[in-house]
Amino acid sequence: MSNTSKFETLSSELESRLDDLFREDAPPAASAAPARPATTPDNPLGELKKTVLSIDWEITPETIDSFQDHIRLLKEAFQRDKIISMFLQILGSLGQYIKTSRNNVHPSTFTVLNSVFARLEEIVTSPTMPAPARKKLLQAEMALYQDLRDKILKRRASAQPRPAGKAAVTAAAPAAPAPGAGAPPEALAQAIEELKVFIRSELKTLKEELGISARRT
Amino acid sequence: MAFVNLKTKVIQVKIVYYGPGRGGKTTNLEYIYRKFQQRINSEMVTVKTHGDRTLFFDFLPFDIGMVNGYNIKIQLYTVPGQVKYNATRRLVLRGVDGVVFVADAMAVCRGKNMQSLENLQENLASYKKNLNALPWVLQYNKMDLLEQGIPLLPVEMLEQDLNREFHAPHFTASAVKGTNVAATLKKIISLTIASIKKELL
Repeated sequence: MSNTSKFETLSSELESRLDDLFREDAPPAASAAPARPATTPDNPLGELKKTVLSIDWEITPETIDSFQDHIRLLKEAFQRDKIISMFLQILGSLGQYIKTSRNNVHPSTFTVLNSVFARLEEIVTSPTMPAPARKKLLQAEMALYQDLRDKILKRRASAQPRPAGKAAVTAAAPAAPAPGAGAPPEALAQAIEELKVFIRSELKTLKEELGISARRT
Repeated sequence: MAFVNLKTKVIQVKIVYYGPGRGGKTTNLEYIYRKFQQRINSEMVTVKTHGDRTLFFDFLPFDIGMVNGYNIKIQLYTVPGQVKYNATRRLVLRGVDGVVFVADAMAVCRGKNMQSLENLQENLASYKKNLNALPWVLQYNKMDLLEQGIPLLPVEMLEQDLNREFHAPHFTASAVKGTNVAATLKKIISLTIASIKKELL
């Protein structure tokens, strides 16, 4: 079949599907509220979804912290489910990478983040999904995630023709998720360094303020 | 660029409703959600609002289902229309695949419509996109107000002001009553999917 006729088939199939979905023969559903909050009792991922959407919108310390808090809670809640735990591990690594890279985040990160979350939601909201289907979804998302890691490492390598060492290159890339693994050591070290700088700066300001008030008295 | 996953056969498309403040963008999404909720089986998320005006964004994702072997997922977003929230508008446009420009047909809004369209072009330019290459549809909203004796802009004038150089498809509409809301949505989805046919075939 030629591309033109293939496209015609696709177009007519799409038109027909859209007509089915959006036919105007029924009155609006009376029970429909203008907009539902992100969290519903039957969707344990509601709050996480809100933070994923917020991160996709704008990366702020608050949204990242909230995202990581929800990941921690969900890891506890789903610790007996290996597949879900792996999904949460990937999301956690992506969150850590976004937190440490902020404005330099690779643009594909948000696509992968949304995709991983969408598959996780599909699994969580389909308790009867067979194990092979769950595994297949995880494998597909793992592949996307690995692909993103490769892109990030390539980009870092091209930006720094002579990197200081392997650690310098991997620091900004999300860590490969391993069951039970915590935050990647490089990212953790970087976070500790940032915290140290912040504390030093706060102490300096405090000392200066104390010095000023001591001179005044 | 739409997200096409050839392995899992999933296409994800982002459509943004853009336009001046109080023009009816959120009303469009609310109508779609209310009217077709059972068929699209989705939930509309409104993040951070103040009063009845959108400060952050409205988001309505839904699946069209399998078309030609692909599972098509649509994400509808609105932007805050107020001039001061331009940074937010620009962020929402990141990765946009299709735009519905909701113009306010009230005569007093003529300047606001043109200003908003100009703002859309500027913000798209920051992502190296433009309205000549992006699928988009114009919706001239609030046509129902004519019944209440409120002066409206003639469609010819709206076309002249907003669509003269683009010749994009346009619809007269009433988002409050639902007139042409679905038609606008169907058109932008069709145009957007058509724009990625190379990836699909």
